[in-house]
Amino acid sequence: MATFPKLKTHAVAQYPASRALRYQNQTVRFLDGTGQRYRDASGPLHRWVIRLSELDEGELAEMEGFFLSNEGQFGSFVFVDPWDGASYPNCSLGSDELDLTAVEEMQGQTSLTVVENRT
Amino acid sequence: MFPQLPTGALSQFPLRKRRLARTVLNTTADGRTIKLPDIAAQTTEWQLQYAGLSDAEVATLAGFFAGMEGSLNGFTFLDPNGNLLAWSDDPSQVEWQKAPFLTLTGGGADPAGGTCAWHIVNSGAGGQSLSQTLNAPAVYIYCLSAFARAAQPTEMTLLLGSFRATCMLGTDWNRFMIAGTGDAEAASVSFGIELPAGAAIDLYGPQAEPQASPSAYKTSTTGGIYENAHFREDAFTYTSTGVNRNSTTVNIQYANHL
Repeated sequence: MATFPKLKTHAVAQYPASRALRYQNQTVRFLDGTGQRYRDASGPLHRWVIRLSELDEGELAEMEGFFLSNEGQFGSFVFVDPWDGASYPNCSLGSDELDLTAVEEMQGQTSLTVVENRT
Repeated sequence: MFPQLPTGALSQFPLRKRRLARTVLNTTADGRTIKLPDIAAQTTEWQLQYAGLSDAEVATLAGFFAGMEGSLNGFTFLDPNGNLLAWSDDPSQVEWQKAPFLTLTGGGADPAGGTCAWHIVNSGAGGQSLSQTLNAPAVYIYCLSAFARAAQPTEMTLLLGSFRATCMLGTDWNRFMIAGTGDAEAASVSFGIELPAGAAIDLYGPQAEPQASPSAYKTSTTGGIYENAHFREDAFTYTSTGVNRNSTTVNIQYANHL
């Protein structure tokens, strides 16, 4: 199974990085105003936004290669949460689009969103 | 072919590149997904922002745009920020033309801290080469670079078209480079290395670029040559910011299915 690439510093993410947790619940409302809530999925799903800057050309190319090998959001890979080191075995990229900018030499920028898939 | 600037560069900073894929996604009621890739729908776009162009340079760009009639006709575009060689970390792939007496062993320690170096031995009685021939414009200025070392002092020759540069390898990793153009009459350009009889070296990071000097090494699998790229727009606008100083932005698109 592929793994999300690390930078040359061995870091996965840079500041600012975002992490989100999403549940999937349903609510049934009754005529008397009360409601009943229930879980519509087995558990929460995680989502991370990895914003990267000051990358050298090699690191930028590695991110591009990872996007290409995953064919956008099609492929799945292991993602290690940079907050707590927990490993999420079934994740995908969140978008079919990748923007890469070389602002200057050794000043590459890109951003990737990683989403946890339901298994 | 897309014109190079007189400096040998294809673009200036900032350079923006977009990769677009298409995935057919079916999300089931329990949140699971069924995915299907649509490889033919993949597109790549570059935004080239130029500043400080001379009148002659902007006229060359405008003339090329007129020759292509805007977005109508396709041309060969070389990724300005890419490694033109395919499978740069794996010379055992078919894209590499390997002379018969060369033996390649992968998985060696490389100067970037990985294990992507190759040990190459020439067991023949004469020079043996490892090269790639690319369908790239021969009149461009190119740079070929590679990291190499050898246990004993050994010569290695870098090959770029008909240009040759002989380097002396030591026990430490060093990056060697050669710059030049291809053969004016040829429709392709060859990049590679040649080892003398009995030579044994470690090689890492071969990289060909459409510019005069090497940038940081970039691993590649598909190479950086895009045949049948198009301008994205039908309009070419440039601004004169002073005497003999012009700026413009060009958007180029490459679609897998075209």
